Amino acid sequence: MSEFAVVGKRIPKIDAKEKITGRAMYAADLVFPGMLYGKIVRCLKYAHAKVTKLDLSEAAKVPGVVKVLGPKDVTQKGYNTGVLDLMVPEPVGQMLGDIEEQYVFTDWVKHQGDAIAGIIAKTEEAAECAAEKIVVEYEPLPVYLTAEESSKPDAVQFSPLKAGNKAFELPAMMFPNNIYGWGDAEAEMKNADLIVENTFYTPKCKQCQMEPHAYVAYFDDQGRINCWTSTQMPKCVHAKIARLFQLPMTKVKINQTVVGGGFGGRLGMIGEPETCAMAMAVPGKYVKVQYLREEDWIASESRHPGKYYMKMGFKNDGTPVACQAHFTSYKGAYYTHGSGVAFTTGSWLVGMYKFGALNYKGDTYFTNQAPCGAYRSYGNAQTSIAMEQTVDEMCYKLGLDPVEWRMKWHKGVGDDGWCLGFKYPSCALDECLRRGAEAIGWKEKRAKYANQTGVKRRGVGVAVMNHTSGAMPMLLEHTTVTVKVNEDASAEVILSCSDLGTGAHTALKMIAAETLGFGMDDVHLLTGNSDASGFDIGAHASRTCYVGGGAVKTACEDVKRQLFDRAARQLEANIDDLDMKDKMIFVKGSPDKAIPVQQITAMGVYNFVDPATGKTIGIPGQIQGYASHFAPHNSPPFAACFVEVEVDIETGEVKVLEAVQAYDIGRAIHPPSCEGQNEGALQQGMGMALMEEIYYDKNGLALNSSFTDYKMPGPADMPKWTNILVEDPDPIGPYGAKSAGEGALANPPGAVLNAIHNAIGIMMTEAPATPEKILKAIKEKGIK
Amino acid sequence: MKTRSITLYVNGEAYSLNVAVNRTLLQVLREDLGMPETKYGCGTGECGACTVVVDGGKSILACLTLAATMDGAKITTAAGLETDGKLNPIQEAFISEHAVQCGYCTPGMVMKSVSILAKNPKPTEEEIRRELEGNICRCTGYVKIVQAIQKASEVMASTR
Repeated sequence: MSEFAVVGKRIPKIDAKEKITGRAMYAADLVFPGMLYGKIVRCLKYAHAKVTKLDLSEAAKVPGVVKVLGPKDVTQKGYNTGVLDLMVPEPVGQMLGDIEEQYVFTDWVKHQGDAIAGIIAKTEEAAECAAEKIVVEYEPLPVYLTAEESSKPDAVQFSPLKAGNKAFELPAMMFPNNIYGWGDAEAEMKNADLIVENTFYTPKCKQCQMEPHAYVAYFDDQGRINCWTSTQMPKCVHAKIARLFQLPMTKVKINQTVVGGGFGGRLGMIGEPETCAMAMAVPGKYVKVQYLREEDWIASESRHPGKYYMKMGFKNDGTPVACQAHFTSYKGAYYTHGSGVAFTTGSWLVGMYKFGALNYKGDTYFTNQAPCGAYRSYGNAQTSIAMEQTVDEMCYKLGLDPVEWRMKWHKGVGDDGWCLGFKYPSCALDECLRRGAEAIGWKEKRAKYANQTGVKRRGVGVAVMNHTSGAMPMLLEHTTVTVKVNEDASAEVILSCSDLGTGAHTALKMIAAETLGFGMDDVHLLTGNSDASGFDIGAHASRTCYVGGGAVKTACEDVKRQLFDRAARQLEANIDDLDMKDKMIFVKGSPDKAIPVQQITAMGVYNFVDPATGKTIGIPGQIQGYASHFAPHNSPPFAACFVEVEVDIETGEVKVLEAVQAYDIGRAIHPPSCEGQNEGALQQGMGMALMEEIYYDKNGLALNSSFTDYKMPGPADMPKWTNILVEDPDPIGPYGAKSAGEGALANPPGAVLNAIHNAIGIMMTEAPATPEKILKAIKEKGIK
Repeated sequence: MKTRSITLYVNGEAYSLNVAVNRTLLQVLREDLGMPETKYGCGTGECGACTVVVDGGKSILACLTLAATMDGAKITTAAGLETDGKLNPIQEAFISEHAVQCGYCTPGMVMKSVSILAKNPKPTEEEIRRELEGNICRCTGYVKIVQAIQKASEVMASTR
């Protein structure tokens, strides 16, 4: 018998039906009267070039074209498509070196796909014809594809504010010696019996959400710019668009459309600046901008790729002595999330194991590739590839079992998490490891695969992770919620939290219904309307259930308190003696002394004054609950992922046979959604480990901007699967919940690569571990 | 651009159109007929989001089909599966098995499922996975989608 009325139930998602019937409205589905079409014209020929000539006159003459816009025809203000800069206080932002160097249309192309002009026309076809008539001449510049190349002294400087093209490194003012961690790892390393040292390469993966980017914008007769977008961060985009076009926020309206997947790719702005700029050029006309799928790889943000140096020192009994690590990533063309991933990649390392000393350095350099931004797990997948493989290498060398070693040495309750000083309030990783190992048959398979011959070699690997639930205290974790109670005791919960398909809105509604004591049908969630809702930073750092849900719970508790207060007055009872069941508030022990909730809410709205006596009939005031909620912690979830692979040592092909994710969820508010996050994350994790990467030629032109060539695991590639949700309620999260969205992508990459290592005895330091790389490694190192 | 007069039967209704010969079925459905349930995912036949069913059972990709070649075709889209507001077993199974996350691939997935089960009412898991290879989902890892198709297959078998 569940202790909860709603939380934990496997109810259908609130938006399932409209998505199945196709009636859910995505941005590209919107049609408005007299709507025009905007095309963003991009430089596709060069990855780095100055525009020396831009002549739009012939393009303007194409029938159907309404307006053509060059860089000087739109706002000259710079901006940053990422929204991290809104989540730190300004002095901190200055210390971090956040910059705003992106422009709506540019005359300095810094990556293939950079926008140089815009065309507004009556049809998409007319706009495309006009784009072909644009006369543009370029002065090509040298192309830099790695940090090594762009940091050379004679390299073209991407920004006068960033010497040596170093977009960011951990600032010494906040991190002495630019190091995050504890102790003196270099000195401590001398005490190690065994040192394992490698440099790993983690690839530039793309979120590849199924909904291509699309926007509609409209500059109306009240001087308001209205924008329809599937951004993950509507209130942040609201603030940024207002700043960009120098309007008060009341003159900007952001309508968040149904989000067809995000995974961090929509953590901020993509095409909103261009679309809004075009709409402002044609006041009174709706302008729709639809990206082609192929634009996604070159004109929106990817994961941060780069070189990850890791050195770990251990005693012969496995005691972790010291860890030195350095992640240098290739930022791509613009700063965006420069200060984010470079730091967090090390923070997940910091949060994992009880090293005597741990020193992490992180930096990122501009390159002429699509800019990097946020991608699910935000540095954790990269850490998995380096950290978990280094640990396993040590286990092989010292003859230790990888599961037992992790059980012994992972951090837990009372230890510092990813943010030093913030200790873990809960940790069920031991149970995750134990149940996961049992589910995959760890002991039996490790024994069975210890000595293999033949062409097909099997292996099992494990990888663990710690993540976070919201990024407090590093980033602003603030959500406001208003609960408006109607006279019939149904409630509107108004907030700006996003659902990217994760089921977050379903979970938030369940939290509201549970806290209010109302049924799900008596609660409605109003989201994605920047006029209606107060501040919220959107979907990032896996915050929606923990921080958003915490805000919902607080606002609903406010409603409940007001209901009980009025009931107490009506019933002439003590508020502490009241209870509520089936929308009836009653005195405990005297159930006949009761008042229906609906009577209280109706009396609050329809508060009559008796004309005869002048006295009020009823309790005045419509009830509204409110929370301006700042997360009190970040309760990290943990997980253990187990993977079994089969490697064909003649073709290099890897088949993933089985996978288990045992996840320390705290409390699964909506269990099918938590499972769904683990399941989808496995596909992305397998992709990163085995096949996904954006490839560039030496001129910086992307080679695989299509689903055919950007390979992702398909339905026939997915393995036998076991999902384990370990529920050890967190003392802080709403109803004990911790996050689900990103953590499950943190550990599959390491688990897949560790399984390959177990199968063929070779550590693949470069991801993705394609068949070609595996064959090359077998050839160079020999098969065990 | 030359045009052609065609009649399309979409979800049971006849539409007489005069289409430019270079317009795809996807464009005609979405823009000319105002039916946005069939999605643009890639426009190049690689993702399956635009899957519709023809003549009750055959799945085609609307983005690669020229509308001018479809004169007389009986086309079903995701909006055409309900009967008097009642969802069909495949739609019910997608809901009950929690096979929907962002929903963008869903109409195409559902239509592909219609054609899978029309061809083979009792497919094995392996057969389902092979058939689905032309439909990309980035959210679900395909786990609950496969479970939904299996559930629908059971329900449809038991009501036959």
